[in-house]
Amino acid sequence: MPNSNFKDSDRFNLMLALTAVLIDGAEYKVEELAKHFDVSEDEIKQAVKVISLTDFIQIYSESPYQLSSEDLEDGIVSLTFKDDRVIHDVSRLSSRQASALAAGLVYLSSLPGLAEVGEIEELQMILAKGLPSMDTYGVIELTPGTADADIAIVREAISKELSISCDYLNLKGETKAGRIIEPLRLEPQGELTYVKGWCPETEMVKSFRIDRMRNAKVMHERPISESAKNAEVPEEIYTPGDNDVVVTLEVEPEAYGLISDYKPVEAAIDVGNYVKRFKIKVGDVRNLGRVIARFGGAARVIEPKQAREAVRDFALQALGGKPGKTPKDAE
Amino acid sequence: MIEPDEDFNLDEYTNIKKPERLFQITVLLLFAGKPLSKHEILSSISAYANEYKPGGNNKTLERMFERDKETLRHNGVQVEAIIPAHEDENNQATVYTIKADSFYWPKDLQLTSRQLALLNLAAEAWAGGSLSGAASKGITKLRSMGIVGEESDIIGIAPKIVSNEPNFRELNNALSDQRVVQFDYRKPDGTVGTRTVHPWLLRQIAGQWLVLGFDQDQQEPRNFMLRRMLTKISYPRSKTEYRAGTQAEIDAAVAALDQLAEKQIAVLKIKPNSEAWFRYEMDLTENKDNGELRIGYSDIHVLAEQIREYANQIKVVKPEALAQLVREGFEKVVDLHA
Repeated sequence: MPNSNFKDSDRFNLMLALTAVLIDGAEYKVEELAKHFDVSEDEIKQAVKVISLTDFIQIYSESPYQLSSEDLEDGIVSLTFKDDRVIHDVSRLSSRQASALAAGLVYLSSLPGLAEVGEIEELQMILAKGLPSMDTYGVIELTPGTADADIAIVREAISKELSISCDYLNLKGETKAGRIIEPLRLEPQGELTYVKGWCPETEMVKSFRIDRMRNAKVMHERPISESAKNAEVPEEIYTPGDNDVVVTLEVEPEAYGLISDYKPVEAAIDVGNYVKRFKIKVGDVRNLGRVIARFGGAARVIEPKQAREAVRDFALQALGGKPGKTPKDAE
Repeated sequence: MIEPDEDFNLDEYTNIKKPERLFQITVLLLFAGKPLSKHEILSSISAYANEYKPGGNNKTLERMFERDKETLRHNGVQVEAIIPAHEDENNQATVYTIKADSFYWPKDLQLTSRQLALLNLAAEAWAGGSLSGAASKGITKLRSMGIVGEESDIIGIAPKIVSNEPNFRELNNALSDQRVVQFDYRKPDGTVGTRTVHPWLLRQIAGQWLVLGFDQDQQEPRNFMLRRMLTKISYPRSKTEYRAGTQAEIDAAVAALDQLAEKQIAVLKIKPNSEAWFRYEMDLTENKDNGELRIGYSDIHVLAEQIREYANQIKVVKPEALAQLVREGFEKVVDLHA
């Protein structure tokens, strides 16, 4: 998806990158460049125009780059340059850029079977060598979540467009054997890994948690359905519904993470003493129990009443040892 | 070939002035082939030149140029200031240049399409997260090297690094720029203090982000959990020189925390076939007969939180301090929701 939240320095980076590609003087389609750099066609056109208008009044009367604007209107970019001292090759990364990519790589290396260890190390070495000499390299270290063996099976199924069968712990705390899922996307997030997949039984895309899966097998004779292929996979783990309840929460710094976890209805506000207040949408308030109670007081529900009661009941049950209701944050 | 047409009006495009300026400075300094004075730069680049008063007061423009240099540096472009040896007292004589070998990506470091695909995925792991801007700018540059491969074993996977802490990005910047930071920190016992830290490493353990750094007041390396910071980080006014950690110091501090997690062991009794049973993979471990899980921890409060999530599916066998923390947390929740 083209990046729509483009800032000044994104545009500058795009200009550097575009120049390095266009300098060979060949004709490129705006459409292709947009796809290649994962930006909108307008961003490409705008960047190319600015490049072509680069001139230095005192030193050089004309732009070192020349562009046919008629071609540009037709969706073609062809840049010629008059001097080989202009930007002619790929530029280096900054330390911030390199460290963000390096940390991403460390995270990838924690996902079983995705990349060879040597492969990641080589890339990190390349990133470090690609830094400007005066720069330093920030360091981020991530430890993997559970390296569940089922991850490799789900990955194989996704790449071959096949279904899987598995035993799955359902909402009532029962394990359903031989459940069929048509997996579409694997989403490791922090400590947990989710699978977004088509459920042929309910005919909809659902989120499944890998840690609740057992005995996953690739079903070699069962390709995923056309409905699964055409299904839209939502970005969020939880998609709000029409009957959702709006709940007001207050959190201390220890629970600020909830604000970005739950995409508040409106921006969080400071209510003093480091406490922030915000509203979220919840499908079933009973699920709030675990979400809020885990913070042991650093998060609380202000309203509505039924949500406050749900949280209190969850904590009371925990203290009294009575059987609790199974929460659901995924199927 | 037609010259850039006059119809093209920059004003129809918003937000273009700054990227245009940055690009022009970069091309000019590479193009000039020799260091240029501030006067030459300000009078040559159209974005500055319109405002430039030869021989007059150009303080605003000069400040803008200083800021632009900083932005360029954060984007990997090093503008070097050179003061001629015989002019060391006069900063008007300072000249600026971008060295080609600091600007261009080394020729011998080409990336294959598979490597670009992995880097692309690494950048996407930050999508919507703290470092998404830096990661996407980095991958934009690298994409000029070739085509991102469509590797069949990489499609259909969308890893996401969870980094919700408000201070994450700025701390990472401080780390890259080697700057001392200050913040108010609340320890789990409730005591609040202002800490001054030379950050060395951002680290994630058990889902929690920590910054390891040299604590100015304690004069030793310390770990700080990002979610226990009460304020946004700031930079102390008094110029304290950044104290970088040696690799040995960093390794030792990392090992000390890891050893703590090996030494501090909690014993938990887990309800068979519950969600917690699955989460801790009890059915796959050898201890499933007695339903007991031995788990190491470096921070008792974080472990208490994890246990509270599973309410009555987990009973703390030991240590008693952990059982008490879990219980007190629930009691507080009950009080707050009475």
